[in-house]
Amino acid sequence: MKGYHDIVGDGGSRILEQVAEQRSRIADGLAGVRHLLAVGSGKGGVGKSTLTLHLAGALRARGLRIAILDADFNGPSQARMAGVQGALFVPGAHKVALPRASNGIAVFSMGSVIPESTALDFESAASGESHTWRATREFALLGEILASFEWGALDVLMFDLPPGAERTVQYADFLDPFKPRVSFVLVTIPSEVARGVVARSVAALSKGPNRVLGYVENMSGYYCRDCNAVKPLFNVSQGRPALQIPCLGTVPFDPELARHCDQGVPFTELPDTPVGRALDHVAQQLLDTLESRSHSDEVSLRTLR
Amino acid sequence: MKFLCVPCDSPMKLQTVGPPERGSLSIVYSCPECGYEIAMLTNAYETQAVQSLGVRIGPEKSVAEASADAGSAAGGCPFSAMIPGTQDSQRREAPDPVPVRWTAAAEARLANVPEFVRPMARAGIERFARDNGSLEVDEKILDAAREFFGM
Repeated sequence: MKGYHDIVGDGGSRILEQVAEQRSRIADGLAGVRHLLAVGSGKGGVGKSTLTLHLAGALRARGLRIAILDADFNGPSQARMAGVQGALFVPGAHKVALPRASNGIAVFSMGSVIPESTALDFESAASGESHTWRATREFALLGEILASFEWGALDVLMFDLPPGAERTVQYADFLDPFKPRVSFVLVTIPSEVARGVVARSVAALSKGPNRVLGYVENMSGYYCRDCNAVKPLFNVSQGRPALQIPCLGTVPFDPELARHCDQGVPFTELPDTPVGRALDHVAQQLLDTLESRSHSDEVSLRTLR
Repeated sequence: MKFLCVPCDSPMKLQTVGPPERGSLSIVYSCPECGYEIAMLTNAYETQAVQSLGVRIGPEKSVAEASADAGSAAGGCPFSAMIPGTQDSQRREAPDPVPVRWTAAAEARLANVPEFVRPMARAGIERFARDNGSLEVDEKILDAAREFFGM
């Protein structure tokens, strides 16, 4: 009797064929993207989205072509912060145009089309039981977004990842076909709890051949405008978990930056403040690290500055 | 998934996919040698597992069918068209007082928009058309929207 592998084709279901077609469409869509940079953490609430947006702005200010994909489908925040809430998705002849922030950064965020008072919902044939299929469906959604929108020629496509060490690894798996263009940067805050979770993400990513550029320590103190000084937010102990990856920089908390985020006003021209200088420094570190890792590329990022 | 007709030792061919009923798909296979038919009846978990991959079971849709989907999907659940027959018409947005027509070419372009955001894209473009004094969405309106929003 014949076995599975003795039979050519799939009997007409076309499931494998469709999955292969979608992967091909994703590859076509990302063909013009030089770097795919995933900004993750593992820990929620450490400022991944804020740093993603403002580092994108700092890179954009250097003349790079940047787009952001808000991959946190269940808690999207880039639409509000980038000022593209309610943006139209307008179809072209082949792909769908991406909304753009005022500084020219292309942004895909579910927050553009789903009001903040509404949760992302999927119809289910399985009477709920979403724990059995939800992650698969979200990655299918990610694939459809990558395949359908006009990413075009980009220097960096930044992925704003959802929290969860396991999710970070799932994204690494999803993006695996696009290595060596894929890099990760992790965000932490000075607290031992957050660093412990990020250390787990580092460990999880280290199990595969993933390129982790380093980490950024966010909220490393707060900037007091009254006394024009950065003061500590957390007690930093000597015994805090070590992260075995380079530190790309530290960024203090600035209430003014938070206000900009809430109002959807990007820091297109970073003010001369500690947080502005810190973001600029981290962006330069990122750029240098990406560039050093892509020295064989035909075009140097430096030439685009 | 593959099915083998054991007496003939011949792979069976997919014939039809019935629309889901209470989460179950009816997929009929037949043996090209002896003509014997079987039906695979999925349970809701199996249906959902396939649906979550973002694929549809069975023959590729014709252009006409795809276009019809694009035209009828104004207000469905995300991915509702991934398995034939699962489209949900219950969440259609409140109708606008003045309907806007879509040309066939514009509808074809709309089919490029992923299913899950197509209803919002349609509504937004129709609003843009009305704001610009048009009750028809054609390719010129779509191009004008792209230009207006700096895309």
